[in-house]
Amino acid sequence: METSLLPPEIEEAHRIFPEALAACADLDALLRLKGAYVGREGSHAARLMELLKAAPKDQKRELGAAANALKTRWEEGLKARQAELEEARKATAALANAWDPALPPPLPAQGALHPLNRLMDRLVDVFRPLGYHVEEGPEAETEEHNFDGLNIPEDHPARGSADTFYFRDADGLLLRTHTSPVQVRVLKRIAEKGPDGLSALERSGGIRFLAPGRVYRKDEIDPTHSPMFHQVEGMLIGKGIGMHHLKGTLAYAMKALFGPGAEVRFRPSYFPFVEPGAEMDVRCPLCGGSGCRVCKGSGWVELLGSGLIHPNVLAYAGIDPAVWSGFAFGMGVERTAMMVSQTPDLRLFFENDQRFLKTMGGLD
Amino acid sequence: MLIERGALHQELPALAGTSTPDLCELLAGLGFPVDGVETVDGTTVLDVDITANRGDAQSHRGIARDLAAKLGAALAALPVQAPAPGEPLLPVRLEAGEAGPFYATAVLELGRGQGTPAAVKAFLGALGSSAKDMPAVDASNELLHRYGHPTHAFDADRIQGFLAVRWARDGETLVTLDGVERKLTPRDLLIADGAGPVALAGVMGGDATKVTGATRRVLLESAWFDPRTVRAMAHRHGLHTDASHRFGRGADPAMAVPARDLLALRLRDWAGATLQSAWSVGALPTPKAPVALPWAMVDRVAGHPVDPGRAADLLRALGCALEPVPGGARVTPPTWRHDLACPEDLAEEVLRLLGYDGIPSVLPPLESSPEPLAPGYLKRRKLASRLANLGFFQTVTLGFGDPQEDVLGDGPARRTLANPLGEDYSLMRGTLLRDLDKVARLNLEKGARDVRFFEIAPVFEARPGQPLKETWTLGLVWGGEMGGEDPLTPPRKLSGPEGRSHLQGVLQALGVPRAETEAFGRWEFTEGGGTVLGWHFELPIDAIPDAGERVIPRFAPFSRFPTVERDLSLLVGLDQPYGALTAAMEAALAATPLQDLRCVDVFRHKSLPPGRQAWLMRLRFQAMDRTLTGEEVETWVLSALNAAQGLGVQLRG
Repeated sequence: METSLLPPEIEEAHRIFPEALAACADLDALLRLKGAYVGREGSHAARLMELLKAAPKDQKRELGAAANALKTRWEEGLKARQAELEEARKATAALANAWDPALPPPLPAQGALHPLNRLMDRLVDVFRPLGYHVEEGPEAETEEHNFDGLNIPEDHPARGSADTFYFRDADGLLLRTHTSPVQVRVLKRIAEKGPDGLSALERSGGIRFLAPGRVYRKDEIDPTHSPMFHQVEGMLIGKGIGMHHLKGTLAYAMKALFGPGAEVRFRPSYFPFVEPGAEMDVRCPLCGGSGCRVCKGSGWVELLGSGLIHPNVLAYAGIDPAVWSGFAFGMGVERTAMMVSQTPDLRLFFENDQRFLKTMGGLD
Repeated sequence: MLIERGALHQELPALAGTSTPDLCELLAGLGFPVDGVETVDGTTVLDVDITANRGDAQSHRGIARDLAAKLGAALAALPVQAPAPGEPLLPVRLEAGEAGPFYATAVLELGRGQGTPAAVKAFLGALGSSAKDMPAVDASNELLHRYGHPTHAFDADRIQGFLAVRWARDGETLVTLDGVERKLTPRDLLIADGAGPVALAGVMGGDATKVTGATRRVLLESAWFDPRTVRAMAHRHGLHTDASHRFGRGADPAMAVPARDLLALRLRDWAGATLQSAWSVGALPTPKAPVALPWAMVDRVAGHPVDPGRAADLLRALGCALEPVPGGARVTPPTWRHDLACPEDLAEEVLRLLGYDGIPSVLPPLESSPEPLAPGYLKRRKLASRLANLGFFQTVTLGFGDPQEDVLGDGPARRTLANPLGEDYSLMRGTLLRDLDKVARLNLEKGARDVRFFEIAPVFEARPGQPLKETWTLGLVWGGEMGGEDPLTPPRKLSGPEGRSHLQGVLQALGVPRAETEAFGRWEFTEGGGTVLGWHFELPIDAIPDAGERVIPRFAPFSRFPTVERDLSLLVGLDQPYGALTAAMEAALAATPLQDLRCVDVFRHKSLPPGRQAWLMRLRFQAMDRTLTGEEVETWVLSALNAAQGLGVQLRG
């Protein structure tokens, strides 16, 4: 300052003001500096006002001008710095509130249906539009439902304890070896005559259903065998039903399951409860028929057994085979799931490792 | 069954120009899929899958017969020269009726033989059945593979007195050719001599009367035995031999005598044997009655018209005799086809030879209304889907349990399997939780942080005096730690209450009243080595109302007027049951349009009076028909407070 009227401490304060101003990192520090320079009490500006009051008259004018000029400079400096700091604070706050969308978000819990259940449900969905509903039966079955009613006589090898689990002290009760006992139960039910003298079958003109479920055979657990596995069987009863209807139905279903390009072929085979019997192969869904490990180079994979219902099965249930005919088919769920997914070991389906279930599962 | 191509050509010369892949296709089309083809030293062997009903096809000639019918070609003639019947050299008694009605035999004196020809040894070797270089044994074996009829050669000088086909007596034993002593039962059919059993009929010969290098005279056996008897014996003794497979599936009775003669001829040619006498006793089983086949049935089964003349030709080609009747034929199946018993069987034969490829593909007409899906099935499916959406993984476990681990105490005898795979697989489960716990523990051991699993499956219950009961059951297990893997979610234990809230959400969405979800089921810790791993819960599916197939639910009216909320901060005892408080308050508000009442905050702090905590209760009112006034709401809140105060609760200042 050009006047010598100012005391040295004010001179010094003014000299260091720009430096002190710049040193204020935040608004709190600036407020403290403001108090020290232009505050009402004890500040440099207040000290100047005291000096002005006490100054001789001839100095008042000059000192007053100098004090005002100083105060104005300080105030302007403080105001400018305050604006700077407020701007910086806003920027910091904005940064703090911003959220980088690339940061990992919280993921909702991911569960899955078991692949075997998915496949069974999918088969139900495939057959629903053709008029099939679901029928179920117990896993602990009688020999009558599991064998007798299915044209499997008492001396049939399948009835031996080598192939079938029997319950102890339970009058021949066994763990069903296929889902076909459901067929026997349904056939007996729909053959029963009602009060009007007609059976449910006669009233309805036919029936078509699927029987999905767990079955048991006396196999040791290894990569391709399990003492418990799943089947989905289907049955249709009507009048004039022939092999052409079986072929038409399964060709439709395989297209729905594997895509519109799916091709099937039928080969003669034998199952005690059907006549004629047929194995159905599907054009290998993995290689499209060019030959691969799954189809052993043949281009075809065997998918299910089928045939027209044996007249003995109908007659056993009380249905006249001269009037009614039908077809049945049965698919091994694990086998199909393994083939299509190329799962190398059957045991993976029953170990329930979350990593396997996550890969193979879904919600549908 | 293994088939050697050269031997097949001998039976059906027309096959000579057919490539192996074409032959495999032909066989598959006839119902004999080929599982494998192997060629060693110029010999091609096919592994052909023969279905259980086709006992007749278990030989080269049997397969050739079907191929001949398919191709319209002729089989080679059977190279048999029947010897003149001779006098019985020893009595043969048939004492088992229909189980063993016919026995052809011969006695031959062996010469200084050349032994089994090299070609026959190679043939047997290709079929995995090494030659013994004893003509009687090797020829019997060769004939079985070639023509399908089992024969047996005894050392004639070891047979004492007579032969009998009879049932075994209690306590009798027989050491069979495999060196094993068999305990016999009266259900076993035997060949016996004066000293006792010498063979298990149709299954295996006895060790004491077998042909050896020292044998000078052989007695041949070519009989017919009842398939069921042989199957049961083979099964009972665990003796699944080539002979038992063929007799067990039904041998051709008409082959019994030719097979004996073929065997005798081979012994003459290979071993310089001279026939002393050949004779037969008994009668072959009565042929089956003819089957009436209406041609319309073939059309129905095929789904398209089949020319009756063509169908008749095909059946004849298979060896059937046909007698025309109006609209069809009376068909007498050949002696080797025991599986042709009803018209459908014959229709199948026609289609099999025509080829299934020729059957059209037609969807059956829908003549009846489809039935809705069963409520139980739908419910389980929806439940599974909901749980999967909540983050639970569905499991499938085997269901076999170890009785040592059984904790249900329901007298599990009838849940126990009589013939399990092993002791630890002998009990059918009475709960899903044990398997689910194992799954959870296994996954945690493999490094999973959080585990949430469910299974929907039947469990078994066997109360004394009641039938075995199966109950579809839902089981859940959850535990581990969640969160901590993103900036917004802190890590936390997957707690009991959290899983329970999931479960209640699902159950209530499915229509289970809240009170029931609180009440039933089991809530327990799952412990492994003393460490609490998580929680599990189980309930019968019947406890959940049926889901129904309704896609669009019934309209439920809702209020269009404002909701009024009031919070009450209450000081309650640390031991105050929440349910009792809400019940008291809800009772006081029964006549009001209360929509919801719940605790939204719990505050515990040393600043509160000792033994007290603060519950912030939120009350929400809304009327269907009007806007509520402040005064009436205040009245209701006051009455709720009064009800709470009746339990010793105070308003927090």
